[in-house]
Amino acid sequence: MPKKLHVTNQIRKLRFFAGEMTQQELAEKTGASRQTIIAVEAGKYSPSLELAFRIAEAFGVPIGEVFGYEEQEDTK
Amino acid sequence: MSYQEKRTLTSMVAGLAVLVSYCIYILNAYHKGWFAPDDMKFCATVMLVFIGIGVAVAVVFQILFHILLSMGVAIRKGDCDDKAIEKEIVSATVEDEMDKLIELKAMKLGFIIAGAGMVAALLAVVLDAPNAVMLNVLFLSMNVGSLAEGALSLYYYRRGVYHA
Repeated sequence: MPKKLHVTNQIRKLRFFAGEMTQQELAEKTGASRQTIIAVEAGKYSPSLELAFRIAEAFGVPIGEVFGYEEQEDTK
Repeated sequence: MSYQEKRTLTSMVAGLAVLVSYCIYILNAYHKGWFAPDDMKFCATVMLVFIGIGVAVAVVFQILFHILLSMGVAIRKGDCDDKAIEKEIVSATVEDEMDKLIELKAMKLGFIIAGAGMVAALLAVVLDAPNAVMLNVLFLSMNVGSLAEGALSLYYYRRGVYHA
């Protein structure tokens, strides 16, 4: 059985390099709520492909620079 | 705490208040002998009245919540510019894919509890329990399901939610 994947992201770093863009500004650019941006940034929510592309577009970088993944050890 | 969490909490408080009021009223009525255990008409009437009260209370709570939210935004921003307050509220009330996913997952739990209540109500009939028991089990399971739905939403907003 394939191992579970944990989606990682570089949103905090990208926000910093985008002139310390606020989570609210990113939320407005992507059409998501600030709550969702906070959750995505904290790794508590994996966004849909559509939102992931929108986030990447907001930073002007390819999606692979924003999101990545790591294999998670099965804790069961 | 986000707008969605506050709104869910408000709905839960309203729902809980109505549920507790109903339980107190129906137990009091039973002890005073206002209805026979097999009298479904009395229980059904009381439930309909409390459903109406529940809707009214939910609407009043939501209105009060939005008034308090606007006041909170105005105090925090330090001015009373209507457009600025409206803009902040609109951005806070955006409902997106995460909200929908949480709503769907929470609703699933609500339906499971209501379904279990339906089975329990049918079992009560099979086991020759009074009709009032069957009706109350149905009513209570729906209310408890609704509360559990809210509680699970709050949990997901706090701890995060994942696909699959």
